Amino acid sequence: MDERTMRIRRQSFLNRVLNPRYIMVYATIGVFLLIYLFGALMYGDIGFTTIRTFLNMFIDNAYFGISAVGMTMVLITGGIDLSVAAIAALTGMFIAYGNTILGIDPFLCIAFAMVIGIGMGALMGAMIHYLNVPPFITTLTGMFLARGVCSMISSESVAINNDAFNALAGWKVNVMKLVDGVWVKVKPIAFINLNVLLFLFVMLLGAYLLKSTKFGRNVYAVGGNEQSAKLMGLPVARTKILVYAFNGLCSVLMGVSYALYVKSGWALALMGGELDVITMAVIGGTLLTGGVGYMLGTFFGVMLKSIIPALITFNGNLLSWWGKIATGALLLLFIGIQRIVVTYSAKRKGKAADCVSKKT
Amino acid sequence: MPDKRILEMKGIEIQFPGVKALDKVDFDLIAGEVHALLGENGAGKSTLIKCLTGVHHMDAGKIIYDGKEITPTSPQAAINMGISTVFQEINLCQNLTVAENIFVGRLPMKRRHRIDWKGINNRASELLKRFNIHIDVTRPLDYFSTGIQQMVSIARAVDIKAKILILDEPTSSLDENEVERLFDVVRELKKSGMGIIFITHFLDQAFVISDRLTVLRNGRLVGDFYARNISKIELVRQMIGKDMEQIFALKRPTVAADATNMLDVESLGIASKVADVSFTLKTGELIGFAGLLGSGRTETAEMIFGVTRAEHGTIKIHDREVRIHSPLDAINQQMAFCPEDRKRDGIIGDLSVRENISLVVQSRRGIFNPMSIKEQAELADQYIQLLGIATPDAEKKVGELSGGNQQKVILARWMATQPDLLILDEPTRGIDVGAKAEIQRLMLKMCAEGVSVIFISSELDEILRCANRVIVMRDRCKAGELPGESSRQEDILHVIAEGTATGEEA
Repeated sequence: MDERTMRIRRQSFLNRVLNPRYIMVYATIGVFLLIYLFGALMYGDIGFTTIRTFLNMFIDNAYFGISAVGMTMVLITGGIDLSVAAIAALTGMFIAYGNTILGIDPFLCIAFAMVIGIGMGALMGAMIHYLNVPPFITTLTGMFLARGVCSMISSESVAINNDAFNALAGWKVNVMKLVDGVWVKVKPIAFINLNVLLFLFVMLLGAYLLKSTKFGRNVYAVGGNEQSAKLMGLPVARTKILVYAFNGLCSVLMGVSYALYVKSGWALALMGGELDVITMAVIGGTLLTGGVGYMLGTFFGVMLKSIIPALITFNGNLLSWWGKIATGALLLLFIGIQRIVVTYSAKRKGKAADCVSKKT
Repeated sequence: MPDKRILEMKGIEIQFPGVKALDKVDFDLIAGEVHALLGENGAGKSTLIKCLTGVHHMDAGKIIYDGKEITPTSPQAAINMGISTVFQEINLCQNLTVAENIFVGRLPMKRRHRIDWKGINNRASELLKRFNIHIDVTRPLDYFSTGIQQMVSIARAVDIKAKILILDEPTSSLDENEVERLFDVVRELKKSGMGIIFITHFLDQAFVISDRLTVLRNGRLVGDFYARNISKIELVRQMIGKDMEQIFALKRPTVAADATNMLDVESLGIASKVADVSFTLKTGELIGFAGLLGSGRTETAEMIFGVTRAEHGTIKIHDREVRIHSPLDAINQQMAFCPEDRKRDGIIGDLSVRENISLVVQSRRGIFNPMSIKEQAELADQYIQLLGIATPDAEKKVGELSGGNQQKVILARWMATQPDLLILDEPTRGIDVGAKAEIQRLMLKMCAEGVSVIFISSELDEILRCANRVIVMRDRCKAGELPGESSRQEDILHVIAEGTATGEEA
């Protein structure tokens, strides 16, 4: 290995770490840590730093996180999906109505919801690609359709009273610690439930798909430049349809997760949730224009979005709409960072050109 | 040693609505040669290539590739056959890494479903090293200059094991250094027996790299020449051809002896686009801009009109320095600009003739002072009559008119603003002979009324017929300034080909 190769290797490690695209991910992690530190200083004495508080942030937002995984992929292709919360609500309604009113096994209902969710996703993807309908409009249609069907099934909230389902909802693993050779539960009691595991699993799956499969790389290529992707011979149509189908699956999983959380189905459940999901992905560094996004960023986007309500709860004096204001401010901050990073890399490009011609 | 012909295109004909884009064109390519395809814009170079790569379908003729007759149906099919194209605009994904751009679509995998990132990066490095490019292939593509990006797209094309490599204007956004590097790569590929088709409008480059040159003009084959057997000046003559038509006896404008300087441009330029251009223009004078396409003519006009912002230099109007940062500034200085690509930048095809004509007048009046439909109609009718626009009425969609009439609509739009300075970029391209003469007549008429005109054209005879002075652009610089009256085509050709002015004035 000659000296030049060594230099390039070394450079390449540094560059990989300092890649301007990761700056957004770092920013998300940094801001999360800052806010967490702030919370720890302000409310550390009343239990903000406990494992329980930390895990509760997961438990209360796991369902959004699941959907954020699919949404991140859709956004990377340069699309958007507004139907996620509606499909999730439809899933909840299938389970609740199917089980409580019709007496169908809840897991059969979930399977049915998956078929519908994935099918709707694939259909919307196909519409977007073949009919050239903008994703915004296509998925808006999907949203109204799903909400409408939801209300058609039942306009009232339907409770879920299935033993197996409730057992799943109540399933949890307590966090233990070793005291004098004996495992005891930490105080205050902290645990993770099925939703958290599901969230982590979907997140890891998403990260693997994006990083290490042809499908994942095609997603980035399509988002980077669809025309080029087509000319490079990539399966653009298949990729787009699969992305929306995968997102449909994530929506259904969000619905299942939410049903486990509230143990009921309601036509108006998760109203506006699609915007929360999009916010999480964008805070995590996913560009709405497509081509850029990372699961790690989205993960911290979910965390950031969840820490705000936690802080407000701990404060006790603030009304919950302060959460919306804080979220808005955060979103603004991150969009600002994105702009700066994009401009910065454009400038750097000029510099890189200089270096190259000097080397010759 | 017998030449191995890998490609033969015979009697290719393509009919587009209204025009014959290619008329019995023959073309052939030998393995291990660089064959340049030359011709003015609209001569049919791209059409011929698109026919070979399956974008357009030919109406007659046949393509014999590697001894077999083929009919390419799509770019993808052509690639699979071994015909790779590198386009002028880079068709890669800016957000992916260099290595990924080379391999995406056929990424090497390990253990079936996992991408072998290490393998990709190593192979990409190796491949680029063959081209003498040592860069970090794990960086996103947009980190690198256009030159490197162009090289990466060639690396991608070559790695597909192409037999024919088509380079469509690959050098138009490269600087000298990068062009040299590209040529090294091309020579390397040539040695390996690949046939390379090189499309360019830089004559110097065509001469440097090519073995043979094929010239097209107006969709017809002019001939193919061995680069060593033909002089540049002869080649330019072949490309431009002689326009024998002279329907109208046109008189060039007479500039009053005491005419003041209308426009004074001093060392206007943008790095890498146009080097310092300076000239003056008197009231009622018509100045012609000659030069091959891409020589900086359009760029200069766009700087004056504020479409692109000049990095340095000054513009004076009536001896007063003005700042022009946007087309609106220019319009407020009584300028008018008919852009080169009228379909894209000029007309709005879905609007009516009336709306197109009143567009700029309206924008000058501002949003709070809308023109009534009646006013618009009066304005439109006046100019339809004045310019002889062939349309059934003012409500017809402009997109449905012929090219010449579309051009007249644009002229009318600007004439309605009563400009002091009119910039016309290739106003006569792609329109028939009669309409051409008509446009020229209108242009000269405006000069007579005291408007100063900048007239950009690739057709030398029309420039020489109309212009008081001719500025010749070459390789993004002003190469010379010739008097319109006493110059011959040969003088201009000489400046274009050799870059030395014979009659330059300060």
